[in-house]
Amino acid sequence: MKKHPMLKYLKEEAPAGPRLPLIMCPGCGAGQVLNYALHAVDTLIREDGLRKEDFVFISGVGCSSRLASHYLNFDSGWTLHGRALAVATGALLANPGLKVIVLTGDGDAAAIGGNHFIHACRRNLNMTILCINNGLYGMTGGQVAPTTPIGRTTTTTPYGNVEEEFDLCRLAQTAGAAYVARWSTAHPHQTIKTIIKGIRKKGTAFVEILSQCPVHLKTAPAEMFRDLKKNTVPLKKAGKSEAKGRIPVGVFCDIDKPDWVTRYQEIIGRLERVESTHE
Amino acid sequence: MNKLHVNPAYCKGCLICVEACPTKAITPCKSINAKGYTLPEEDDMRRCTGCMLCETVCPDFAIAIESDEDQGD
Repeated sequence: MKKHPMLKYLKEEAPAGPRLPLIMCPGCGAGQVLNYALHAVDTLIREDGLRKEDFVFISGVGCSSRLASHYLNFDSGWTLHGRALAVATGALLANPGLKVIVLTGDGDAAAIGGNHFIHACRRNLNMTILCINNGLYGMTGGQVAPTTPIGRTTTTTPYGNVEEEFDLCRLAQTAGAAYVARWSTAHPHQTIKTIIKGIRKKGTAFVEILSQCPVHLKTAPAEMFRDLKKNTVPLKKAGKSEAKGRIPVGVFCDIDKPDWVTRYQEIIGRLERVESTHE
Repeated sequence: MNKLHVNPAYCKGCLICVEACPTKAITPCKSINAKGYTLPEEDDMRRCTGCMLCETVCPDFAIAIESDEDQGD
């Protein structure tokens, strides 16, 4: 029987027994995002001549964060809640040649790890942040999150959410990330292309992927997949009447500016020159 | 003709593959498996264009399409 092509990057067997199937609920978007990320990494390994050792996956805590160290056959870290970006910063500064990919959820990146997220974008660290945004706290029982859309019913907002949601893409753009994009799990090829560009980008690449939580939103996964396609609109058409009430998706910004490591190495180079003139 | 392979140990029956298939070459199975999941099955694989969208969107790494080249005639 032919196997899924991305299974070569996953740990099917571990000393304690088989790791797969994934622990996620049926139809969870986290598995899809992992699939897209692995497609992107596969393309980079084939086209850019990168090796498996050049990648490191870091995750925090939450549904989405189970993906990294548990299943991936790459170097990976399963870290503290919200602190994935802090650990990823450390990994990057220890070995600036690494391709750091952070798998994080909306609760992990926007709620508890909000400050780490802003400052990672501000420093323009050379890493790729994949934020799986399902608009609620899935692992703890479907409570309202900062990214829950206004009016959505969750377990802690049974009559609808009264708060405005957090627009993570605009936040990342304002904070200074070099590459910011938003897609949904219903845009597979766009997401894969964006992740490839994000990993190749020198600087912070933030990709928000709108995802579905079929269990807590009590909808069939296939229906949610269809709805995600229906409720999103390309960024070009965002101002038009057809975009009313729909979420804009696309590449928000793609700018070239020096990243943290480049600036730091410039200072080191300058000091070395000063030192050599004094000798 | 392309062949559909579904790994019953990994598939959780979310049927996103059936929704994503642009030519509707695959369909939900009429019966449920031992775990209670409805797995996808071949409907008319002559309609399969080998776009591999079902493989790409699968959250559980359970589905695979064996194309003509893989089968080696």
